[in-house]
Order: sequence, then C-alpha cells, then structure tokens
Amino acid sequence: MEFTRQEMMAIATGREIRDGDLCIFGVGLSMLAGYFALAYHAPNAKAMTEGGVYGSSPVGGLPWGIEDNRISANATCFSGALDALGFLVASGKCDLGIIGAAQIDKYGNVNTTGFWDKPEDPFFCAPRTRLNGSGGANDIACGVKRVVVMLAHEKKRFAEKVDYLTTPGYLEGGNAREKYHFIGGGPVSVITTLGILRPDPVTKELMIDSYYPFSSIEEMKTNTAWDLKVSPRVSVTPEPTAEELDVLHAVDVTNVLKRK
Amino acid sequence: MPNKLIKLRDAVSKYTRDGMVYCSGAGLPVGSDSLVFGKEMLCQGRKDIHYLTHCCSQQVNLFCAAGVCNKVEAAFSGLEVYGFANGVRRAVESGKVVWEDWSNLSMSLRFLGGALRWPFVPATVNIGSDMQYRSAFNPDEYPCKTKIPDITDPFTGKVYGALPVARPELAVIHVTMADVEGNAIFLGTEWSRFELARAADQVILQADFIVDTDCMRQYPNLVRIPDLLVEAVIPWQLGAWPQCSVGVYDSDAEHMAAMNKMLGTAEGTQEFRKNFIDVWQTHEEYMALIGNDKIEKIMNNATTHLMDPYRKWIKSDPEIATLMTQSIFA
Repeated sequence: MEFTRQEMMAIATGREIRDGDLCIFGVGLSMLAGYFALAYHAPNAKAMTEGGVYGSSPVGGLPWGIEDNRISANATCFSGALDALGFLVASGKCDLGIIGAAQIDKYGNVNTTGFWDKPEDPFFCAPRTRLNGSGGANDIACGVKRVVVMLAHEKKRFAEKVDYLTTPGYLEGGNAREKYHFIGGGPVSVITTLGILRPDPVTKELMIDSYYPFSSIEEMKTNTAWDLKVSPRVSVTPEPTAEELDVLHAVDVTNVLKRK
Repeated sequence: MPNKLIKLRDAVSKYTRDGMVYCSGAGLPVGSDSLVFGKEMLCQGRKDIHYLTHCCSQQVNLFCAAGVCNKVEAAFSGLEVYGFANGVRRAVESGKVVWEDWSNLSMSLRFLGGALRWPFVPATVNIGSDMQYRSAFNPDEYPCKTKIPDITDPFTGKVYGALPVARPELAVIHVTMADVEGNAIFLGTEWSRFELARAADQVILQADFIVDTDCMRQYPNLVRIPDLLVEAVIPWQLGAWPQCSVGVYDSDAEHMAAMNKMLGTAEGTQEFRKNFIDVWQTHEEYMALIGNDKIEKIMNNATTHLMDPYRKWIKSDPEIATLMTQSIFA
C-alpha cells in the first residue's frame, strides 16, 4: 500500500478517536484526522470548536479557521467560548482533544508560544521567534479526558525542556498534575511523523509505543533530544488500509495533505 | 429609544483616544472582527493602544505592524490556516509590542469577571504553566506571583489561580445585524461577544446590516447584545473583510495572504496603508476597492441560508442614509 507520512500521521491520529467521543480539534491536519475518524470508524463521535460551533462538518473544504463559514454552514448550534471551553471542556465533559505542538518534552509538556535565544533564562524577554500561543490548547489539556498531540518528529522539537511551557502534559512527571487538580487526564498519545509515543503509566515519561512501517526505533531516538525509552510492547503501527486512505482523501477535499 | 447610527469617522474620533484599553470583538483570526474600525483608528493616528482580544485578527496584525498598539493581552497570535501573523511577529520579536499570553478560556473568564465586576476569577486553567509563571508585563519576576496569583479555595483548602478581570474602556464589536437603537443579532459563534459587551465601559457595534427593530421583536431571544449596552452603531457592510462574516461573506483568501505578507515589513505596511486604507473615504469607495468580482465571490458561500429569516427587515442604502440624518449624532 502506498501512502505518505502525512497520511499515516492523520490516520494514526484519527484512530485515537472512539465512537461516541465528544471531540475538539484545531485547524489543519488535526481537523482532517478528526473528521476522517467521524467519517470512517466513529460515526457517533461529535465534534465541537473552541468558540462553540456544534454539530457541524466542513462544507466546501477544510476550514481556514475554527469558526469560519466552512465549519459554520451546517451547524446545529452556535454558542460561545465560555460554553465550549468552559461548560464542556473545563467541566470534564469533553472526551478527546487534538492539539498541535512546536516543541514537546519527555512528559508531554507543549510549547506553542515561542523560541528564545536563552531559554534557560527564566526571566521574560522578547522571543527570538514568536509562535501562536495557547489558543484553547491549555484549556483543552487541563480539561479533556484524553489529549492527543501531533507534531513533526525532529530533534529541535523533541527537547529535554521546552522553551516555554504553554500547555501542561504531565509537568515534572508522575502525579505532578495532582497539585493543580486538573480535571482532565493529560496526553494519551503523541502522534509524530515517525511513530506514536505514549506515557509510562507511572512515571508518565513518553515512550515509543509504535513506529511507522517506513520508520524505526532508531530513527525516532535519533530525532529526540532526550534518551527516548521504548515500551516493552513496542510494535509497528498498522499501515493505513485502502479503505482508510479512500475516506481520508474524501474528507480532504481541498488537498491539505498535498500542501504539506 | 434613540437612533444611534454614527459615521465610522465620527465614532473613532468621539470614542477612541491614545493609550486606551481597547478590545475588538469577536477577536477571531479568520471570522468576525471590527476590522474597518481599526483601519480608521490607524488613519486618525491612534497610538499606545493597550489591546485586549481573544485572538489575533488582521486588526491586531495591522495595529502591531503600524505601531498603533504597544501592549496586547490575548490567547492566540496567529491567523490559523493563513499562517503566523507577520506584523505581530515583527513587533513582538523586536520588543515594540509587549504581548501577554493567556488562553481562550482565561480570556472568556476575565471578560465574565469584568462584566460581573468580580474582584478576580478562580482559574482551573493556565495554572502550572508558564502562562502563570512568566509575565511579559512583569519580566523580572520569576516565578511570577502577580499575573495569576495562587488562591486557596476557602471550602476545600485546595490551591488554584486567580485571574485578573478584564474591563476594556471601549469594545468595538462586529455583528451581522443591528437595529438603529443598538440591538444586535450575530450569526456564527459569539465567542465572548456576550460577556465583552457587558465588561466594557462603552460598546460600539460595527454592523454588516441595519435591520428594522421588528426583526428583533420577531427574534428577541437571539438578541445577545441589547440596546441598553450600546453607545453607537456603525453601518458598514463587509466591515470584517478580508475576514469572514458567517451568513454573509467568506474570508478573502487572496487578500488575507497579501495583507499578511505586506505587514511583515515596515515598507510593506506603508504600502498596505497607501493601497488599501488611504484610498477610500466613503463606504462606496471601500466597496469599489474590494471590487464587484471579489464581492460576488466571497458572498457566494455555503452559509448564506443563515440570513434568509432576516432579509425582509434589511434596510437599503438610501434608507440608511435617511436614518443617519435622524440619528442623535447627526
């Protein structure tokens, strides 16, 4: 079966969604992965946006933004951010959130805020590179039951310590989240361009859970700045089936995958 | 109730001032925002604006690029699928704009707290992250204890965070339709326009359509901003361009990208102002700038059915011109 890295990543992410889940996605590849799941194996899952667009699916292509016309055309409810990120996410009612990352550490803490010349300096100064900030990702990571993180597997992105902790994963590991009484469960998986990481049940350190048919444990370790551990149950991620690829392409009517 | 229609130029002149705490709504990167109001603020030379918003929009991008604002508090600084906001990046990386980071829920809660005149809002988000521990407004304090201070739940003894409430001096909110008195209905998500309209000291609406008050009487439960809260109403069709207005027009992909590219440099920002802001004085000239072909293209979108229930109440341009003469601001 022929498939690209982006297709593998989108399908692997989509497989994290269970039928019946209430889900929240960002734009781009995470939304593609989400609507692929709804179209393929999770027809009873429900998608919502951070600003409170409910019951909709994209019309005329994947949305330019999470509240634009393409995602608003067939909505059953227009609500607001306090409802979506508060009453549904902060309450713990939302099952799954997919977020992107520019940088991640071994405990699944995410940076989407910026890169600094001297990240070890805790005092705030102008960043060398300004990124997008949290959006709703911090809220999603604090509130939803299961968080899925998507990012490119490159050494500079898989850092021992993130330049800025925008969105909490497991903080310092173990039960560190308990100090903050987060209602959400934290990241269950990190889907990369090379494979899938999942947290150790006790230490919460991310480990290689599976690698893609075109990748390897070695390649994943080489592209990680810390000593990446391997799960005792490590396996090869099942490659996309022809049916999965057909559905993915049908959802991707505006060719997001080709642009990557 | 009085007719509060006001000309764009007069609204900016009357209600804005240098250094004010300003907020635009809905503050979306691609959707609703009061862009045309922001362009007029630039024309009138406003500066040192302290900008509160949910997300970056092309208004925030323009303000940062052109030096209209020097402080921003927001949850998101990008333009979603249109990419990083080049004007924001240039201003923040050079230190010309100080950008304080929050999340979307914390911005919503801060507006809610501001609306209720609460002293603070308990936070179950942003705590334990660098959004709590680092502050662009207090750069030397680490870990920062003043941005989101710890607070103890008096009932359980558990420690959470305290969010400062947000009370902008002025909120300028883009709405799909308003009547002359300031009752507003918006299509699409409201984000925090409900809370924002109640948190701000003064509220101005920028409306794509002016409708008869009978429309509000037909759908009173959809009026999320009532006239009681509103100082003035600016009629300005396509006022969120090049962003979208759900039910009316799509985002203009070509102009979104071109504008963002130009705002990436000081020279490009000047060029943008010269070619896309300084060339119109009236709404007719603004529409001519966008062009009939583009208007037809962006108005032909999958959401137009959402406007169908309201069309019979839409006021025509001549009717709006007459209503303008009867306004308290005439």
